[in-house]
Formats: sequence, C-alpha cells, structure tokens
Amino acid sequence: MQGRFPALLLLSLLLLPLISAQEGYNEWEDTNTFAWEHDFESGFISTSPLFTGEAVLVRTSGNGKPAVTAFDLEGDTIWQRVNNQSSSNDMSPLLHVSAGEGTCGVWPEMVVVGWTDGRVEALQPSNGELLWSAQTEVAGWGVTSEFALDGEFVIIPTRKGIGQYCLADGEQQWWSQTGLGWRNGVAVGDTGYFSGDESGVLWHVDRMGVTTSYPLGLGKIRHPPVFTDAGLIVHAQGVSSSTVAVFDVSNGSVSQQLPAGPSPAKPALYGSFLVTGDSSSVQIFSCTVLCESVAQMPFLTNGELRWLDDSLIIAPLNTPNSNWGMFTFDGLDNLSFTELDVGIYGYGTAAPLQFIADGKVFTVFGNDQSLLRVFTRAAEQETQPQPLPQSQPSTDFDWGVQGLIFIMFLLIGSSTVLFLNGKMEWFFRTSSLFFLIIFILILPDISTQWSELFDEQFPVDANDEQWDDEWPDAWLDTQIVIIEIDGEDQVIGGLTGHDTVYSLTQDACEQLGYNLGVELTELGYYIESINGIEGNGWEYFTDGSKGVVSVDSAAVESSTIVRWIPV
Amino acid sequence: MFQALGAHGPVLSPLAELVLDVVLLGSAFLLLARPTKRPVFDSLFMICLVVSVSLLRVVMQPLPNVQPVTVAALLVGAQLGARRGAAFAVLVAMISNIFMGDGWWTVFQAAGWASVAIAGSRLPLVTSTGLNLGRVCMASIVAAFWFDLFVSFSILDGSIGFYEFIIYLGHGLPFDFLHMAGNLTFAVWLGKWFFNLLEEEPTLEEIEFAVVNGHGIDG
Repeated sequence: MQGRFPALLLLSLLLLPLISAQEGYNEWEDTNTFAWEHDFESGFISTSPLFTGEAVLVRTSGNGKPAVTAFDLEGDTIWQRVNNQSSSNDMSPLLHVSAGEGTCGVWPEMVVVGWTDGRVEALQPSNGELLWSAQTEVAGWGVTSEFALDGEFVIIPTRKGIGQYCLADGEQQWWSQTGLGWRNGVAVGDTGYFSGDESGVLWHVDRMGVTTSYPLGLGKIRHPPVFTDAGLIVHAQGVSSSTVAVFDVSNGSVSQQLPAGPSPAKPALYGSFLVTGDSSSVQIFSCTVLCESVAQMPFLTNGELRWLDDSLIIAPLNTPNSNWGMFTFDGLDNLSFTELDVGIYGYGTAAPLQFIADGKVFTVFGNDQSLLRVFTRAAEQETQPQPLPQSQPSTDFDWGVQGLIFIMFLLIGSSTVLFLNGKMEWFFRTSSLFFLIIFILILPDISTQWSELFDEQFPVDANDEQWDDEWPDAWLDTQIVIIEIDGEDQVIGGLTGHDTVYSLTQDACEQLGYNLGVELTELGYYIESINGIEGNGWEYFTDGSKGVVSVDSAAVESSTIVRWIPV
Repeated sequence: MFQALGAHGPVLSPLAELVLDVVLLGSAFLLLARPTKRPVFDSLFMICLVVSVSLLRVVMQPLPNVQPVTVAALLVGAQLGARRGAAFAVLVAMISNIFMGDGWWTVFQAAGWASVAIAGSRLPLVTSTGLNLGRVCMASIVAAFWFDLFVSFSILDGSIGFYEFIIYLGHGLPFDFLHMAGNLTFAVWLGKWFFNLLEEEPTLEEIEFAVVNGHGIDG
C-alpha cells in the first residue's frame, strides 16, 4: 500500500509531457512578422478584406462612417469611398470581379459593394470611381448578404428576394421575391441559385427567375449554402442549437441532419472537407457520398471561416477581448488548435485575408475594434513549408492550466485507488473535489446552454415595450436600444446582427458616444456605468421583460428592444 | 450577485441600510446574550469563528456560488445550538458583505443561513459516536437549495411576477447544483475537523459534577 502513492505520483508525472505535447507549437507567429497597421478609430470590420492585385480593400461600418478603403502594400491609403446613407452595419462581403464580356456588354475589373441602404455599387479597384450602381429594396435594412457571380451576371440576394444584374452596366435582369432574409448569401449551381431566409425556407431560383421553396423547418438560413459531393449543405440556426443539413437537390429533400451548436458561422469548403463553426465548436465534415463529422474542437466563432491551405483554418473568436483561432487539420480526423495573437482584441467575425505579392505572403486581420493589422513572411516559406518541430517547447505553456490538469489527474487517480482499497471516506473526499472542479470549469457553458434551453421552453410574453411611431421606419425589424439618462430616453435603432444584450448595448453606446463601464463577475458581465453614470447599478429590460441573467448570456432577436434604466 | 445578473431587489437608502445593519447586529447580540460560564473565552471563540468563516467566504468569492458558510452554519447549529448558530450566520453575512456588497439581500442571506443553523440544531446530525457525516452530507445538499431559494426572494420588489420569478429560479439551477457540490466537498473534507473544533471543553465544575453524579448513581 505504501508504495502505491509514489507509483501514482510517478504515473501522473509521466503523463505530464503528454499534456504539454498537445499545446500547439505556433509556427505562424514565429514565421510571420508585423508589417503595418491602420486604425480606423471607429467602426467595425465585419467582413474579410479583399486583395485586387494592387490594393487591399477593407470595408468599415457601424458607428464610424460606412466606407470602403483601399490601401497599397505599404499601408498607405489610396482611396476611400464613403456612403453616409448606409446607416446600419454593412456586412455584405466585397466581391472582386475580373474584366470580361457577355451578351449584355463588356465590363472592366471591378469590386461590387452592397450597402445597407439598399445600394449596390461597382467600383473601379484602382481609384474607387463608380462604374455603375443599382438600388435594391430596403426593409429595415438593405443589402446584408454575400453576392455570387454567374457568368456575366452578379446574383444579389436582397432583403426580400434575389436579383440578377448585368456586370456591364448593373441593369437588373429580373428580381424574384423569396422570404425575408438576413445576411443570406447565395450559392450558384447547375440549375440556378440557392438561398435561405429567416423562416427556414431554402429557395431555388432558376436562371429565368422562377422560384421554388423548400421549407426545411430547421431554423434560420443565414449563410450561403455550399455545394459538396454529398449534396447542398445548409447550416441552419435554431434557438439554442443548429443543424448542418445535407439537401438533395435532385429530389428536394433533406438527406442528412447533423447536430451542431448555436449561432453558426459561415461554412467553408476545401476539397471534400467542410469546416463549420458555432458558439460551441469548430467541426470538420468529410463530405463525399455522405457528410460525416471527422473532427471537432471547442471554440466560439460566429463569422467567416477561412481555409488558408489544405490543412490550416483560421477563425475569428467572437468573445470580448478575443483573438483568432488557428486550426491544423491532418486530413484524417485530427484537429489541433493554437491561439493566434495578432494584437487586436475584441469581438470578431471577419476572416483574415491572405495573398502573395512582391515575393511575400501577406495576411490581413481586422475585427470589431476597427484596427487593421497586416503581417508578412517570405513567399518561399509558403511553397516549402517547414515541418513542425514537435520537440520544441511552446512559449505559450500555461502553467495554471497544466497545473490544474495535473491536479485533476491526481484526484481521479487517487479516487480510483482509494475506492479499490475500500477507503470510502477519502474516496468521497477526492472524488467530490474532482467533480467540484469539473463543475466549476463547465459551469459557464452549462449555464448559458441551460438558460437558452429554459427560455426556449418557457418563453416570457412581453408586450410592454411598444414601437414608437416617432421612430424612423428604417428602424422597423431592427434592434433598438433605449437608455434612460437623466429621466430622458436616449434611443438608437437600426442595429442589426447582435446576439446578446451585451453586444447590442456596446454597439448602441458606441453609436451614442457613451462610455460603457463593464465588470466581469463570476456570473458574467455586469454593466457598471453608462456615460459615466453609476448610480446603484443599471438594469435592463428586453421587450419589456426584466433581465434575469447576465448581459452576455441574455439573447436578443433581430427586432428586440432593449431598455436600460439606472437603479 | 443579483446586480451582476441585472436583477435587483429594492434599493435601500443609506439610512435604511443603517437601520437594517443595526437590526441585524442587534438580533445577533440578542441571540448571544445569555449567561455563560466562560464569557471571555466564548466571546473570543465566536469572534474568531465569525471572522475566519467570513474571510473564507470573501476569499472564495471568485468561485460562483461555492458557499462555505452554509456547511459552517449547519455544523455550528448542530454543535453550539440554534441561538449561537443563528447569531453566527447573521454576523458572517454582515461582515462578509461589507467586502462583497451590502444591501437588501443581506437580510435574506442572514435569515437563510440562520434557518440552516437552526435546522442543524434540530436535525440528528450528532450521534453517540460523533458526527454522522452521511446525514451532514444530505442536510448540506438540502441546505444549498433551501438557502438559494430563500435568498432568491430578495429580488421580489413588485416588478417581477410569479411566472418571471419561476423563470428566474429556473435560470439559477446550475448555480444551485454548484452550491450543492461545494457543500458536499466542504462537508466531506472539513466537516469532522470543523465539528471537533467547535466541541466545547467541559469546565472543571462540569467534570466534577459528572463524576459525583456518576458515583451517586453507583452508590
């Protein structure tokens, strides 16, 4: 018996190197060097920047001026196009179009930009001059979706439909009504176009504009469907979870439903491998005849996912003070994770841009902090990748985490030995401590999931917060925040795309020019002060219902009204 | 805690808070004010006990709803009786909330832990062989849910209906389970040690009385 504890200790010590080996060696940070940055000072970078061959184009919106800005490779501003009419967050990705010609005319190289005031503009990449523009309908907001190219046409999902526009002059060929959409990109297939809506309906529109609807009933469809060998992939968003559905376009039915976490990110395909993300994990699916989940890693991402090559994926982490996550996939079933520190911290949904120019590989990052940062490395390293030095110790070794894991090993090992030896009192001691630590570690996730599930099962009817007729119509069906300052309501509307009261309030305060005092407590984020006013704290109401969970756990819908009252 | 959730009970004015503190402190002294054989020792012991458990609560604040006071109140009640157990609970709630945030909820926390202490004094947690750890574990589980429920009443300020209150309780269930797990861990690790710490040494008079009484019976 006396020898068992030293043996257990030795066993645990032997396991320690195995744990540390899982800590990813961050090759990217070692091989890439910071080149330049540009601080927009306000506004969000919600979509990936674009490289046109000469310039890096970045779109910003939100509380700053809505604009597309072009930089040269040294970081100097070449041009900027501002659209002050676009009052909401512009989230439609920029689309680069090469020069060409078709039956409707000849067009030069261009960048197509969609704005939330419904305008679609084709800009000349070299100087930002307008080539043509088209006006689409506005219902609360205008264009928020991702466009697609189909020969001589650009396919534009608008708020209530899908339109086909000629690249040469922007003339609308046809527009077909579908369902109410939000950030609903379009996929181009052999028979036409596929796009989803907020009601969970998948729409097929043929090249003549004839629509067919497929009510999938799996949740909101907000990202472009993805064509794979297994079928058309739709990542549908439910209330507290999501579903990766495989849609058989030949018979119009769902052939597979694969469970995933809440608030899905935009799926991305590389070969037969599809990466999806959500608020709980990043998943890799192998989609050949069927789609099969082959790897998964806990992570929280809700924006764009980007394959940098056949094994490297970068995803923005969408939490306060967050960064980017780098995932290495071995092509089979192993997915490893390394945090990527690029010096920008905060909520993020934009994937990085990577391109090769002047013998260098450029990687461009931007997120909600309105800061653009560019890194470079020699292009030779791109073509001759260095093997990962597995034996090299990581500089990111987290002694706290590893120490905790070590203690957990000790506790579970001790519990087993004590149980086998019949020492039940000590068994209860070690096992109770083990489970307590586990419970504390998983509590934030459990609490969030439980709250969402609970809200789903027991919705609170609230009709106290009514639409004010004095508010502009553009705020209809958008998120609105009311802050009571000195007895007067300060209102900001037209906000979109926020999932939590916290994110929505942050945006509202930025737009109103208020400082937001926030404290992280053990139960989540607590709003200490708004515009410097602390009082005895602040309490919030969502659609008239008093908030009972922390602001970062309180979910909001696309048309929620949040009211903040000083206590 | 409740402010962090965005939910508040009634907000007290400084005067109301003062009155509240005086009432709580007064009730604690009232509970403790009774003849004792060793007044100085008993007072010092109670002060040490209250300060150390309050400090422990403050130190453990970063762990959400891990409440060492609940098990402590249960054991103090079991070993020292309902009066001193309730006084202990009130004083710990007051002192620790000086650092963690004082308010309307302090009353409910004090009352919640006091009720746990009273329950500890009434439950058969102590047997002839000493502390029954199994019963203490069971009592600490129930005490966790009872305390959390009791303290939740503090958010009722007229603006929350019954249905919303149930929703509020439902949201807090994971935290209740964590409180329960924390209580179990405290009970199995520190229960016996803490119980023995509280055990009163008999005075010489008590020993003499016991011996004489024993001889009397023998005779």
